[in-house]
Amino acid sequence: MTGLLEIRGARRSFATPEGGRIAALDGVDLDVGANEFVTLLGPSGCGKTTLLRSISGFEALDAGVIRLDGRDIGALPPFRRPVNTVFQSYALFGHMSVARNVGYALEVGGVARAERERAVAEALDKVGLAGFGARRPSQLSGGQRQRVALARAIIGRPRILLLDEPLSALDRNLRQQMQLELKTLQHNLGIAFVFVTHDQEEALTMSDRIVVMRAGRIEQQGSPRDIFRHPRTRFVAEFIGETNLFDVTVDRIEGEVAIGRTAEGLELRLPGAGLTVGRRATAVLRPADFRLAEAGLPVTITRSVYLGQDLNLFAAPAPGGPEIRVTARDAADAPEVGARVHLAYDAAAVHLLEGA
Amino acid sequence: MRNPLGWLLLTLFSLLFFAFIYAPLAVIIGYSFNANPINMMIWDGFTLDWYRGLFGFADRTADPNSRALYVESTDQLIAALKNSLIVAAVTTSVSTVLGTATAIALARYRFRLRGFYRGFLLLPMMMPDIVLGIGLLIFFVTLGMKLSLLTIIIGHCTFLTSYVFIIVQARIAGIDPALEEASADLGASEWVTLRKVLLPQLAPGIVGGALLAFVISMDDLVITYFIAGTDSTTLPVFIFGMIRRGVKPEINAIATLLILASVLIAALGLWLRSRKIDK
Ligand SMILES: Nc1ncnc2c1ncn2[C@@H]1O[C@H](COP(=O)(O)OP(=O)(O)O)[C@@H](O)[C@H]1O
Ligand SMILES: [Mg+2]
Repeated sequence: MTGLLEIRGARRSFATPEGGRIAALDGVDLDVGANEFVTLLGPSGCGKTTLLRSISGFEALDAGVIRLDGRDIGALPPFRRPVNTVFQSYALFGHMSVARNVGYALEVGGVARAERERAVAEALDKVGLAGFGARRPSQLSGGQRQRVALARAIIGRPRILLLDEPLSALDRNLRQQMQLELKTLQHNLGIAFVFVTHDQEEALTMSDRIVVMRAGRIEQQGSPRDIFRHPRTRFVAEFIGETNLFDVTVDRIEGEVAIGRTAEGLELRLPGAGLTVGRRATAVLRPADFRLAEAGLPVTITRSVYLGQDLNLFAAPAPGGPEIRVTARDAADAPEVGARVHLAYDAAAVHLLEGA
Repeated sequence: MRNPLGWLLLTLFSLLFFAFIYAPLAVIIGYSFNANPINMMIWDGFTLDWYRGLFGFADRTADPNSRALYVESTDQLIAALKNSLIVAAVTTSVSTVLGTATAIALARYRFRLRGFYRGFLLLPMMMPDIVLGIGLLIFFVTLGMKLSLLTIIIGHCTFLTSYVFIIVQARIAGIDPALEEASADLGASEWVTLRKVLLPQLAPGIVGGALLAFVISMDDLVITYFIAGTDSTTLPVFIFGMIRRGVKPEINAIATLLILASVLIAALGLWLRSRKIDK
């Protein structure tokens, strides 16, 4: 991979009101390739914004280096860095027209008026706002403002576009539409995107690579499928989508399959490779990994949540014990609450957490 | 449901309230057209004489008895007005620049003793005028400065800067710092960001502060009274001097003209604001 952005050993701490210090970045190494769509994902307060602002230059690192195209940019002020940002609050200039907002980077860069107007029209067209140039930001809807902020940030053709939770203020439908559009736009522009979100679904939909952060560190990074199917830690498994975690001890090996027992006595079939009797492990099973079947794990349905096409079922292997989450199609024969059913799953599909 | 009695009381109260505020002004305007030169309180018919007198058009020989009642010299009045305008224009410019710059510095830069400076800037506003006036007088005398328009201007700047500062500061507190970051992010240096983003965003506050400074400077009597030299009388000081020698009808005319000027300035301010919003 050709490294466009290279961050090594990034550290940044802040003083807390209580008089202590909190490490917003606690030794972060990150690479972003040209053309790559990288998503920083993690709970609120894990340091995503701080990392993004270190790249744009609004936060100075206590330690570590940031290189862009091999050049150390750590000492450059924000206005000299070839990266642009889409701010969470959009930060549009209310005293300027939409066109002047979009053309701002060119205006301060000394680009001639005619060339500027052409580029503004093109940028507005790219985000689907052709003809809106004469309006004021206050005369636009939230989604339209979002597009103006986007057009304004891409007009200068930055090496990297930074986006800090840009979709969080939009309603669900618009957000999903914008997710697809952003991805398409990124593909067409050929600019690397570093996108911040705390929404795992958004991260899965858009990213080439997801970087899961936790308390100022990178917990795991990889492709969306990799992160979803092969979480390395409990934190990642629980943060990315709904999941069932079972702490088991391997009871016996039956050919390809290992049988693990939970503390409650539940028996689970696991992929046997590398497991020995007595080993402890944590098994990850997504709700969609289970099927309702004639034979398998006997359970009682305790709750059923209607989601439209699907049902979220909660199934208890033993009365009053821990529940298993299962996704099932909503059909005429879907089990009612109280029904006794069997859950089947593919032992090879069970993922084991490392070092559990 | 609306309570009719409550509604009536509220209406009555509102009317009384406005009457209370505007009655003195109405009285002044009314009497400025009263022909009775001796007792202003007795209506003696309509006249424009007092206005003519102000502008030097009155035929002072016509009635020798009332001669002493007229403004002694229209030239003095005009000179005082001119002084007031010069002082107000210069102090407004200086204190608007200083107040705005200070508000920006305190809101956007971190340095030692920030809180101390903030409090220090508000002090001149809290200080009784009489104290400020005496203090300034002693200060100028100590320095050996001759009382003149310059001393008035310096004196006015000391407290008007605080007024502008307060108003601009209130405006700056409502501006999203992300705007300036966005500007820097898009390649603008600090200076360009100030010019193209921060100052335009602050414009309503700056204009408001400047108008207020202008009006207060034009209007100030107590402080100016201490630090005005004999040849640098401002309009309020001049009027005060006239009143000490008896309330004369021309004063009503002057007051009426001042009311008119204030209304025009206020209207100008409102018009500027509405134009900003429309655009
Ligand atoms: N300017 C700041 N001053 C003090 N603490 C800060 C500042 N910026 C961030 N922090 C702290 O650093 C941590 C990481 O913040 P942030 O990067 O904004 O997280 P995220 O964007 O992932 O929600 C948080 O605990 C936050 O309170
Ligand atoms: Mg954040």
